[in-house]
Amino acid sequence: MNLLEILSYGFIQRALLAGTLIALLCSVLGVFLVLRRLSLIGDGLAHVTFGSTAIALALKMYSAMSLLVSMPIVLLASIGILKLTEKGRLSGDAAIGLVSALGISAGIILASVGGGYNVDLLSYLFGNILSIRSEEVVIAALLCVGVLLLVTFYYHELFAISFSDELAKVSGVRTSYINAILVLLTALSVVLAMKLVGIMLISSLLIVPAAAALQLARGFKVCIILAALQGCSSVVIGIIISIMSNLPASATIVMVNLLFFTVSCVIRRIIHPKNSN
Amino acid sequence: MKSRIGVVILVVLCSAALFLASCKKGEEKPAVSLQVVTTLFPLYDFARTIAGDKAHVTMLLPPGVEPHTFEPRPEDMIRISRAGLFIYTNKYMEPWAEKVVSGIDSRTLRVVNAGERVTYHAGVTEDEHGHDHTKSGEHDHHHDQKGMDPHIWLDFDNAALMVDTILDGFVAADPANGDVYRQNAETLKRRLVKLDLQYRKTLALCSTRTLLHGGHYTFGYLARRYNLDYHALSGISSDSEPSAERMASLVREIRSSGARYLFAEELLSPRLTETLANEAGVGVLMLHGAHNLSRDDMARNVTFFDLMDRNLEQLQKGLQCRTK
Amino acid sequence: MSDKIVTTELLSCSYREGRVLEDISFQVERGDYVGIVGPNGSGKSTLVKALLGLVTISKGSASLFGTPLPHFRDWYKVGYLPQSLHLVNPVFPATVHETVGLGLLSLKRFPKRLNRADNDKINTILDELGILDLEHKLIGELSGGQLQRVLLARAIVNDPELLVLDEPTAALDPETRGRFYAMIASINRSRGVTVLLVTHDSGAIGEHASKMLYLDKKILFYGSFDQFCCSHEMSSLFGEHSQHLMCHRH
Repeated sequence: MNLLEILSYGFIQRALLAGTLIALLCSVLGVFLVLRRLSLIGDGLAHVTFGSTAIALALKMYSAMSLLVSMPIVLLASIGILKLTEKGRLSGDAAIGLVSALGISAGIILASVGGGYNVDLLSYLFGNILSIRSEEVVIAALLCVGVLLLVTFYYHELFAISFSDELAKVSGVRTSYINAILVLLTALSVVLAMKLVGIMLISSLLIVPAAAALQLARGFKVCIILAALQGCSSVVIGIIISIMSNLPASATIVMVNLLFFTVSCVIRRIIHPKNSN
Repeated sequence: MKSRIGVVILVVLCSAALFLASCKKGEEKPAVSLQVVTTLFPLYDFARTIAGDKAHVTMLLPPGVEPHTFEPRPEDMIRISRAGLFIYTNKYMEPWAEKVVSGIDSRTLRVVNAGERVTYHAGVTEDEHGHDHTKSGEHDHHHDQKGMDPHIWLDFDNAALMVDTILDGFVAADPANGDVYRQNAETLKRRLVKLDLQYRKTLALCSTRTLLHGGHYTFGYLARRYNLDYHALSGISSDSEPSAERMASLVREIRSSGARYLFAEELLSPRLTETLANEAGVGVLMLHGAHNLSRDDMARNVTFFDLMDRNLEQLQKGLQCRTK
Repeated sequence: MSDKIVTTELLSCSYREGRVLEDISFQVERGDYVGIVGPNGSGKSTLVKALLGLVTISKGSASLFGTPLPHFRDWYKVGYLPQSLHLVNPVFPATVHETVGLGLLSLKRFPKRLNRADNDKINTILDELGILDLEHKLIGELSGGQLQRVLLARAIVNDPELLVLDEPTAALDPETRGRFYAMIASINRSRGVTVLLVTHDSGAIGEHASKMLYLDKKILFYGSFDQFCCSHEMSSLFGEHSQHLMCHRH
């Protein structure tokens, strides 16, 4: 089918727009998360979203209403992960694993014994990038603006805590406050992105652009900009490829992302053969 | 201090989960001898009608749960192992059923494949077949077994065949009450014939014969029986994701067919259907696949016939059929 | 302005394994250069971390610049060079310039921005430490000695009144080590910066320190360098020979 013709469909335009916005905010947050060794927080929080959606559906709250239940639970879970790493003597990955296990098992238990549902849980859980509504584009845009503003205002603090928590503290940075901002923004993004693009895309949009940018960036600011560019362009390129070769959009976007990463690694090897071990 | 709040939240969540887990209604001890376990709702509804008060019929699937992704709990296994009769639809619908049964060591358990007398048809989407609007029945037999459409009960002749098969199971398991079961099954089949006539009559004169469905291929048997042109967004497998092109082509099909409504399947999230309906500027109507009931419908004791009546109303509205 | 830069009173710290520091009471005056020495596991690092609020104090109290630690906000007065080499993530994409810029954060208010004057300041300090040519390198590309100087630049770019260094020379070769200590000594003398330096390398520090604190869970000795050399406790702890080595000033 003609590419231009497909681009005239509203759902494709919304997918491109909202997808780019979500990619932008995920890849920017991703750089901090990867360097803070919280890469898998996206997966963890997505699993908590699963659990909380189970609760929402048991309470007969569907689609937008289910956010009223999911949002606070996922925000709490993100703070829980943070506190476990700060106070519980757990590394980030263990804390994420713990919270994620709680989320998914609570969800499964609720799904099988909560007296059943009025709807199928799984079908409500996973978004599809091709089924985004206009008002959701607006929400994505607002969240994106909010995240970018906060990241701009707190750029140096976020930089400092990613570099070293201890040094940041002795520079007078209120590290637990900044860490909380980081994970709360991540939680908001994950809940929204889960609704809009599905669990598979969230993790890939958070981690892969950051990982690719780390290969090439010569500087922290450059790294964030590279990650953002890469995240956004992989959504656009992924959607266009998926239209032209008739493939599922989300999976194609993930593959384009991974391709970017591979190319970045190769370029790094060519430019700095010494440092590429 | 704050870490303690985290711990408290964990504990509350855990105990909430456990509480919900423990507060399911206690299994009522039945006085009758024959215990029957069914998987999906149509089987459950047929079996309980056939059983009357001579046997105790339960349904395995909790309300609202999708049968493809269902996994039996330990208690379900115990329930099946104590039953005299286990009824499932077919291997396409409940791929886990055979595995579950083979894991149960019971001499008295009789397993009924309710769909064994039915002729299966492949679930075909436009996606797989481009634009040749093949008349039903021509290419189906050559299809890969995996692509078989398992929603056989939506053709009421098939439903009657299923009733026969289920009846055989009942009679074999409990010959003493055979006459009661036969009588109940006969009534049930008469109602199915009546339902079929009603569908035939209602769907005879409609402005459009195109049944457009923004979801997974479900209503193929229904469409075939009443000579409707069924277009589903995606194939039978519930884990496949539709491509952008398929979505665009369905929108074009909606526009070119002049339909006023796009159908969505009850119990499932209507997101994708709503997106397509908005795009094409049509409304959304719900059809029930009847695999399972919502919790509310279950509580209201809704029957298979209620669901089918509901579907007919929606079809009549969606296809703009005139009643005589 | 108070001239008591650091004060602790009966400060104790415990980890799960037990008490690491017991009843530490001492004061550091403006301009002091205090060498903190002691055997491995004697709690040297824990002590400076406790003073910087990085480790929870289980008993007693500590003050910086006369303000009790929990209320201390003037972090711009403090520079900290941690036991660094394992602290820095080798793939961290920051340049030397950006890393040193982090040291200026404590001087800034929300929203923190670096202006041209700050950039000049960064370049000046890099120049002073002889690493201006590394400005655009990534920190992962530096040698141990270079990284050490970059982190020192980060710690002193805000012109701190108190500089805390925790085993700063662990990864350096003897020659670089000597130069490093000389650098710290000149910062102490020329800028009047108070220095707290943790090391197990008591020989090297002896050259410059004005006070010595010998720690083994408790303070075994705290006083001027000269007293340290003459004290009987020291000769019983180290033996004549090592004391002679330590106190040998060039």
